[in-house]
Amino acid sequence: MKIYGVYIINRAGGLIFSRDASPKIEVEKTFSYPIDIKFKSYDEKIVVAFGQRDGIKVGHVVLSINGVDTGFQDEGRSYNMTKLKDGREILKILDDESSYPLSIKFGRLRMTANEKIMLLSMFHSIFAMSVQLSPVPRSSGIEVLEADTFKLHCFQTLTGIKLIVITDPRCSDMNIFLKKLYELYADYALKNPFYQNDMPIKCPLFEEKLTQAIDTSERISN
Amino acid sequence: MIFNLYIYDRSGTCLFYHEWNRQKQVDVSREEDFKLMYGMTFSLKSFCNRISPTDPNIGFTSFKTSQYKLHFYETPSGLKFIMTTDLQIQGDIRFLMHTLYKDVFVEYAIRDPECELNKPIKSKLFSEKLNEFIQKQPQFGNIAQTALSSIVK
Amino acid sequence: MSRQSGRSNDPRKVSGELLTLTYGALVAQLVKDSESDDEVNKQLDKMGYNIGIRLIEDFLARSSIGKCKDLRETAEIISKNGFKMFLNITPIVANWNQSGDEFSLIIDNNPLTEFAELPDEHKSLSYCNILCGVVRGALEMVQLEVETKIVQDQLKGDNVTELKVKYIRKIEEAAPAGDD
Repeated sequence: MKIYGVYIINRAGGLIFSRDASPKIEVEKTFSYPIDIKFKSYDEKIVVAFGQRDGIKVGHVVLSINGVDTGFQDEGRSYNMTKLKDGREILKILDDESSYPLSIKFGRLRMTANEKIMLLSMFHSIFAMSVQLSPVPRSSGIEVLEADTFKLHCFQTLTGIKLIVITDPRCSDMNIFLKKLYELYADYALKNPFYQNDMPIKCPLFEEKLTQAIDTSERISN
Repeated sequence: MIFNLYIYDRSGTCLFYHEWNRQKQVDVSREEDFKLMYGMTFSLKSFCNRISPTDPNIGFTSFKTSQYKLHFYETPSGLKFIMTTDLQIQGDIRFLMHTLYKDVFVEYAIRDPECELNKPIKSKLFSEKLNEFIQKQPQFGNIAQTALSSIVK
Repeated sequence: MSRQSGRSNDPRKVSGELLTLTYGALVAQLVKDSESDDEVNKQLDKMGYNIGIRLIEDFLARSSIGKCKDLRETAEIISKNGFKMFLNITPIVANWNQSGDEFSLIIDNNPLTEFAELPDEHKSLSYCNILCGVVRGALEMVQLEVETKIVQDQLKGDNVTELKVKYIRKIEEAAPAGDD
């Protein structure tokens, strides 16, 4: 069974290690005027709001138009995905009849490094809330979380480090893998004399062993 | 065993809450408890949509801890049903919540002209029917379950 | 009007004629109580809206239909499932505009107007305006803001009754309120 991601967060909710392997989801299609997909500008991106077809899904982001990528770097300002690289505004192009036909590439945006940090710290607080809201005494936090497209398995060590794996939704039990991950963390991060506790893990040996562990786990569960 | 049930409207107002076998109370007020639960599921929804490796369709459905399981069901109109149970629970709880929506919520809340859609449900009939519905579920309680199986035998 | 197809074993179904007569009496009374046709149209739309925001739950619960992917799917479901379930008619979905954000529901055997004739002094009354409100209210509850209006009316000599639906926007989900 596929392992999509491995994350480690420290006691304060800080992401100290991440590795992900989400599949690339992109669709390119040519449109004539008027386009029957509804867009919205959201969080400095142009997102499909309504009108799902041919693999284009609600939530997909416009990645390029006629081969020109989106993402405009304004001088001194932040990266803006509502414009093309050459500075033209996407919504204006879509509204302008004379610019058609348009070949538009859509896709599911991968998480950026910042987004990962934000999301995992969000999980850290959700985890704490799941303990607080427990209807029964002495409950742990979230151990397994299920959604239609994935399953998240979380193991919190006694020291408060959280080890998280994201897998295929059909995957039943990741305890063996989580235990292995804990061992690797203890061996190749903590025992490394140059590794500073609670700081991001940048140990090639750890990465390498992890790759092996992921391969083994995926093979066994298949 | 079913512990409790929360029903929220789409703006986050808790329309209904009931507990059956809850063994631990939160150390905050009821209102605070409702807010926390709504906040947690709201965060869970956006967390799941974003961290999902492929395009999500339904998104978040449940989680479990060492002691309990939380089940989440949302209608296309944005009503949220949240139920917590023990870990021994059998069967599809989201389907159970859909049935509850169909046979109890629509019948005794939506069809009740006295019932305002965005305020906590005050109807006695509604809570009676809901209680009846939950308690007749085989998953309701261990005692009920053993009683049921002895009748079957 | 009987809901034979939708819920054949439901003993609570009422005669379609009773509904037609009830609706007629209601509109007639509204006309009597109001200053202008416009006001009646507004009232009917408002009543429809209040019905729509409740009816949608009944519809979703019974049909187990999930979120729509695009407006074409929405239109089909309104016609083939929604109208079918509650009025036992299936309006034709037609008159799409080019950008695919506007369509019409064409009704040719409208049960609401079965016995009605518009008096000469109420030519601007939109007798079936309640349907506009119902569709608008129901869609609002599934995060779709639309505009609806009756553009053709059998009571005004048109061949069919045409209800136009125009997509405005997707409504975003409200974030939980913070502690003030």
